[in-house]
Amino acid sequence: MTLLALSFTLLFVIATMLISVWQKLGLEKEIATGTIRSAIQLLAIGYVLQYIFRTEHVIYLVMIISVMIGVAAWNAARRAPGMRGIVWRIALSILTTELLMMGMLLGLNIIEPTPQYIIPLSGMTIGNAMVVAGLYVNQMRREVQSSKGEIEVLLSLGATASQAMQDVRKRAVKFSMIPTIDSMKTVGLVQLPGMMTGMIVAGADPVEAVRYQILIVFSFTGSAAITSMLLSILSYRLMLTKELQLRPIPEGTR
Amino acid sequence: MAAILEIQRLAKHSWNQDNRESPYLFEEVSAVIQQPECISVIGPSGQGKSTLLRTLALLDMPDQGDISYAGISYREKDPRLWRKEICYVAQQAVMLPGSVEDNLGTASRLHGEVYDVQLAEQLLEETLLAGLDRKKNASELSGGEKQRIALIRSLLLRPAVLLLDEVTASLDNISARAVEHMLQQWQAREGTTMIWVTHDLEQAARTSSRTWFMSGGTLLEDQQTIDFFRRPATEAGRQFVRFLASEAAL
Repeated sequence: MTLLALSFTLLFVIATMLISVWQKLGLEKEIATGTIRSAIQLLAIGYVLQYIFRTEHVIYLVMIISVMIGVAAWNAARRAPGMRGIVWRIALSILTTELLMMGMLLGLNIIEPTPQYIIPLSGMTIGNAMVVAGLYVNQMRREVQSSKGEIEVLLSLGATASQAMQDVRKRAVKFSMIPTIDSMKTVGLVQLPGMMTGMIVAGADPVEAVRYQILIVFSFTGSAAITSMLLSILSYRLMLTKELQLRPIPEGTR
Repeated sequence: MAAILEIQRLAKHSWNQDNRESPYLFEEVSAVIQQPECISVIGPSGQGKSTLLRTLALLDMPDQGDISYAGISYREKDPRLWRKEICYVAQQAVMLPGSVEDNLGTASRLHGEVYDVQLAEQLLEETLLAGLDRKKNASELSGGEKQRIALIRSLLLRPAVLLLDEVTASLDNISARAVEHMLQQWQAREGTTMIWVTHDLEQAARTSSRTWFMSGGTLLEDQQTIDFFRRPATEAGRQFVRFLASEAAL
């Protein structure tokens, strides 16, 4: 695709902004920032990837994945303002998920051990894990808020932290996995996923594209479950004080 | 011999809406319980009676002072083991998800002990719930049924100290009397110490040997029940008794 052709796509953005002005939605500024940010971020990552693919040096691969995990953890942690220590717990959950996924995909020779495969698949895994982690922490706070009475009954009967939080954790894990499971059920019927669309547009055989997409769908489900469960194990104790009392939840759930 | 429960200069802040500390809700609360007994806690609303019970169960932390159970300070004890011995029963009965039976078996499930069906049945009968379907979803019970189930759920833990927060508030007179009777029997059998917040002076007179009167941000009077009702030692106590007696007469 030529740069000229690409720049024509800005017409969509301009149309959206005009609608926003016309309907007084007040979204022009956000759309403009979003457009500029996404263009710069994507172009930059394009050049970075081009460089990494050429040099094929492991250190760059590690660096780029670390940045991905760092940004993902920071972003998901914004769903839990005031929860100290949640960022590294999310980062650890996502890292473990990433290592397990890549270990399996590479160990079983499902994908080739080259940056061309590792980076995009890692990006998708980490991105999905980020969404799941954000949903989990958000829901965990809501569940604790609405189940205060239940948790206190269990604590007053001498429950351990883990016993008192078990049901709440289970419900939050379930909730965080709903979008992944729903999209698994409707994939191909409602939407053609990005990766498959990209491969088909780039000239790949649709059946080959579908195979990769199946790989993605399955690993997304796996990574959602691992991230969510691991995060629930790592973080439930944060909701209680050292003396096993419910910690007040800071305002500002987003 | 160490006292069952010893409260030394206990204080608790109240919290205003911005979560900022404000003056003490109560302070300088001291008391010693040497032998199993039933203590009524009475006083006007907002004096921190419930908070006192919650603090004794370590569901809230003391801001000052100390509480010892059998000579050991709460600071040196695992809160979980503390609550196994000193159990708080809330005024608002909250049912856990599941059936009535699931709720009754909570304590045994939490501590890996055998669920005493016979005892549960006996307590249900004594609280006039003999005919209740134990397979029924606990959330479908009436307010009064929930309150009794929550109480029995705590009794099955067999704590040494039972902190009762207006546990007969949603009950009709007959059920309330049945619960009182059951608790008195329980105390005679198990030697449980009971600290019972109530707004019903007659109930306090019927059930307790000792009365704590909370007013003016502290434990103002700690007397034998019979003495307190005959002659409160403070003006606030006299006013309170007069006020409740006139309310009851209406």
